[in-house]
Amino acid sequence: MAKFPVRLGPAEETLIAQLKSVGADQAAERITVAGLPTRRVEAYHYTDLKTLLRSIPPLATPANEASAPALRIPGAYTVMIANGVIQNASTAPAGVIVGKAEGGVLTNRDDAIVGVNNALTNSALSLTLEGSVDPVIQVERRIEGEAAHVADALKVFVADGASATIIETFSGSDAAHVGNHATYMTLGKNAVVTHVSVDLSARAATHFSTNEYHLADGARLRTLVIHLGAGLARTNVYPTLGGADAHTDITGLNLVSDGQHADITMETHHAVPHTSSQPLFKSIARGRSKAVVQGKLVVARDAQKTDAKFMHQGLMLSDDAEILSKPELEIYADDVVCGHGSTCGKLDEDSLFYLLSRGIPKAEAETMLVRGFIAELLDPVEGSELNEALQGVIDGWLLGRQ
Amino acid sequence: MTTPVLEIRNLHARIEDREILKGVNLIIPPGQVHAIMGRNGSGKSTLSYVLAGKEDYEVTEGEVLLNGENILEMEPDERAAAGLFLAFQYPIEIPGVATMTFLKAAINAQRKARGEGELSTPDFMRLVKEAGAQLNVDSEMLKRPLNVGFSGGEKKRAEIMQMALLKPSLAVLDETDSGLDIDALQVVSKGVNALRDGQRSMLVITHYQRLLNHIVPDVVHVFSDGRIVESGDKDLALKLEAEGYASYGGEAA
Repeated sequence: MAKFPVRLGPAEETLIAQLKSVGADQAAERITVAGLPTRRVEAYHYTDLKTLLRSIPPLATPANEASAPALRIPGAYTVMIANGVIQNASTAPAGVIVGKAEGGVLTNRDDAIVGVNNALTNSALSLTLEGSVDPVIQVERRIEGEAAHVADALKVFVADGASATIIETFSGSDAAHVGNHATYMTLGKNAVVTHVSVDLSARAATHFSTNEYHLADGARLRTLVIHLGAGLARTNVYPTLGGADAHTDITGLNLVSDGQHADITMETHHAVPHTSSQPLFKSIARGRSKAVVQGKLVVARDAQKTDAKFMHQGLMLSDDAEILSKPELEIYADDVVCGHGSTCGKLDEDSLFYLLSRGIPKAEAETMLVRGFIAELLDPVEGSELNEALQGVIDGWLLGRQ
Repeated sequence: MTTPVLEIRNLHARIEDREILKGVNLIIPPGQVHAIMGRNGSGKSTLSYVLAGKEDYEVTEGEVLLNGENILEMEPDERAAAGLFLAFQYPIEIPGVATMTFLKAAINAQRKARGEGELSTPDFMRLVKEAGAQLNVDSEMLKRPLNVGFSGGEKKRAEIMQMALLKPSLAVLDETDSGLDIDALQVVSKGVNALRDGQRSMLVITHYQRLLNHIVPDVVHVFSDGRIVESGDKDLALKLEAEGYASYGGEAA
């Protein structure tokens, strides 16, 4: 294939200069040669970063002011990373060791967001979970002050048999930030983890996030990504089931209003025999907006008896909304049960009429139906405080009608 | 003369280009139960949907007065607040919406529309428990999402329970007997009869006379080809059961 020089835009020029300024010459070279991914790159087919990302703000300096917490969960243990700097945390609860790790945390792969995060992150927050951690752990990531480009990272080790619920919130001032966040998590044998990520950043912001998971034998992981803040959001979810009887419920919710674009891209690797996953995603779009879910299940040659089913359900609340769905199966084993499904539509007219016929006004009836649509994702998240907090965030979106 | 609870004057309605109601006239005074019988496809269920305000149907002519007030310009929720209740032939399953949440929203929305305050949670719970007990709707059913996984009989019992809670001035029962065995039919009928109080009126739409042994009507109307073609007392239903609808013409179902 003939190579043509890529025409670089201002966002790419800034990014290259920033990467060079921290000595990440290889990453800079990659952007110089390939540019930001366009629709011709399969993984970015519906989220063309070259078009969508017009500029990149300067690299962040330490924050000297703070916005209000985006989400308070009563009783949670909170650690904050502001403008990429890990803040002093309060005393950790039993079973939690808080530390720092040098450099990026993600496994290198052919992905611009991953490459930039690894290159720009200089130290990651590390959490070692040694047993059953009672309080919810909240990692609060903020970008404060003037518009800034921030890369930050979290590394979590969950010991054999340990259990925890971790929620990450992304928020900050309402400037045109670009956040590039990473979470790397290993689950030991029979570990049980719920990991929730909620983007609550301002509409002017761009939110990139990558969640990478590695599961040992018998580990169970439930994840929930919620996009509702940033104008442009993309979360990569990369679970690897590397131990027999490991199971994941990878879930996600795009809530987009006029002018927003949100993308959840999942690639799950079933690496060994006898693992299972149930990825379930939902998108709700109103106004002129776009929601994307891409879900790929990769089953290795040895990974017999894999049981995996991807599902994406879209709900369109306006004629201008766009919901895009791309399921992919890449299966090398021959004795597996794998599937995918995708649905998209408006609110069910018969259901709406039933609620109206009982005297419930239209706006309230629609809200009930939308809540009902989402319940399948929220109900399995245990812990009433966490669940209520998430319900509150979603209700805010529903009733805000932004 | 007292204002009828329901007065339908020369009602015509169509779905797309097909005219289904072709001049319905009906007056139901307070406290009376009227039955509408007719073969499948005669337009009986369409009448119930048009009364409740389903969007798919277009009223081309006529008036519908509920307690003297024209309801045709009202939204379905406003009709409900004005006192109309439709017990669905096929109650809709709504996953993700808890039955109790739905009941509370419905009761409070109607109270609000009538300028009454919201029910407190204990008062609401007590009302639901009382209404549920009469209709064998147990707390296990109430914990499930609305109508989801309910058997045919459970769905119909839940409909009548909603009616008991919402206390409409006019209840339209659309084929409430369909899909019910004899035991369920008795429970449902008992629930309906308990709501006959001399003021509340009912329009019972049915294909079979069987239901009318349990819910005894004051007047029976025969519906054929989009209009009422004969009216009489409850013996008319027995005659229909014996002779069928053939003498009323139209196509056989």
